Amino acid sequence: MATLKSAGGPSVGVFDAGRFTAKLYSHRDHILVLIALLAIWHGLSLLLGVYWVGTPWGVAVRLYSGLLSGELLRHASYTFSEAMIGFVIGGIPAAILPFLLRRQPILTAILDPFMVGGYGSPKLALAPLFILWFGIGIESKIALVAFTVFFIVYFATQTGVRTLDPKLVQMAQVAGASESYVARHIIFPGAVPHIFTGFRIAMPYSIGGAVVAELISANRGLGYMIQLRSMNFDTTGVFVALTAVCIIVFITNWIVNFVEKRLLRWRPPSDVTAQKE
Amino acid sequence: MSVLLEVRDLAKRFATRAGREPSPWIIQGLSFSVNEGEFLTIIGPSGGGKTTLLNMIAQIDAASGGEIRFQSQLAPINDMKSLKPGLNCQIGYVTQEDNLLPWRTCLENVLFPLLVQGKLNDETRARAQTLIRAVGLAGWEDHYPHELSGGMRKRTSLIRTLVYDPPVILMDEPFGALDAQTRLQLQDDLMRLWNLGKKTIVFVTHDISEAIALGDRTLVLTRQPSSVAGEHRITIPRPRDIRGILTHPEFIELYQRIRAQVQ
Repeated sequence: MATLKSAGGPSVGVFDAGRFTAKLYSHRDHILVLIALLAIWHGLSLLLGVYWVGTPWGVAVRLYSGLLSGELLRHASYTFSEAMIGFVIGGIPAAILPFLLRRQPILTAILDPFMVGGYGSPKLALAPLFILWFGIGIESKIALVAFTVFFIVYFATQTGVRTLDPKLVQMAQVAGASESYVARHIIFPGAVPHIFTGFRIAMPYSIGGAVVAELISANRGLGYMIQLRSMNFDTTGVFVALTAVCIIVFITNWIVNFVEKRLLRWRPPSDVTAQKE
Repeated sequence: MSVLLEVRDLAKRFATRAGREPSPWIIQGLSFSVNEGEFLTIIGPSGGGKTTLLNMIAQIDAASGGEIRFQSQLAPINDMKSLKPGLNCQIGYVTQEDNLLPWRTCLENVLFPLLVQGKLNDETRARAQTLIRAVGLAGWEDHYPHELSGGMRKRTSLIRTLVYDPPVILMDEPFGALDAQTRLQLQDDLMRLWNLGKKTIVFVTHDISEAIALGDRTLVLTRQPSSVAGEHRITIPRPRDIRGILTHPEFIELYQRIRAQVQ
């Protein structure tokens, strides 16, 4: 049996366990912080009472039962779709527009104050307006998310387009590249890291935007869940919904990082801690 | 030998910023010509407008006055918009910085001009491979620029220009930032490659020894506003031994004459 194991089939239990331990070990810092935070959380709930702060264990049980009944997943997927659709509707044009405006300095100058205004406007204050315009359905949430995401990605992409080394463009021109070739093969790949910076910052905001819009007026979604449960003085229930929001943010952030890592393999590791791997 | 490139009475000053004194002349009254197949080295004090001169010849910057003639074409004067960078791939330019595209590997960077010009085929690919081997980059083709040493990046940028075989190549202190040993090696490489193809090269440097060792002719430029201070024909026979040339009697004599002219 031992020889069979060392032969290394894909489903050899001992080997997997070893890998799992190793993985656990490499994340020991994360686990320690998590345990500390849970301890503080639990301490607070002991101190202030379960009525005000639900215990971590109570939240975990409710989370599990919510998942089993499908209620939590239904609301979460609603919020998730709002965020993702809004993210695409706001993010894609925002990543394209700076390229179109690159050779239009006058138009850029005209648009700039409005872009800054849109970027700085308080999104929470806009939510009621969007609900007025688009109703309490999914449309108003998508609109708010798209509006939030658009400006973040726009400015990040614009930075990428502007900070590209003009010497690389000159090099390509001397080699015979046309204007459109330069845009596609020099400006665009040079700006991709910045676009992803925008995506990475905008992703949690898109979830947050969807939740905020639901808080104000909705009949579904995690924001609605939070609103409803806080009205019923169900603190633990609110914590469950918040935990679900955090999990979604965590997953989407992981997806963006994964795609970025795949697309930007050419980049030198940006921080020293990454080099030890 | 026919004149390929001619610069006559060239003048350059950068645009004056609002509310400032008019900017000084960088170049004034600069005239010289380059013959076909010639290796011309240009030497001058730093900040003397050498890079600006090459930028104007490569048409990524416009002259303020005078003439730049390549074959029979005149470069536009004072008109940034009608510049034709690289003159339809007839002028190659190895800049001071390597300017490699960080998202392309060594090989992809070398192939970049061929890809742009639609000349990427089996024959040109083989040529690229030959060049990569000739400068000792074999085995590094799949590495990204940040994974290469300074010397390797320099070599990559050098053969990126050689690979599409432009009739004229401009070089702007390409070996300036390298250590002495790597520089000697690269000068050697460049000499070998040049002996193979006999391109027309305009090579700018601030190193007198380099100017003599590589060139057929050396121009010495004055301080700003720069013009030609002197011209020296270098008759040291080729092929030259870059390492041994320092003790050649003609070298020593040329060195002293040029030294006296460089301010």
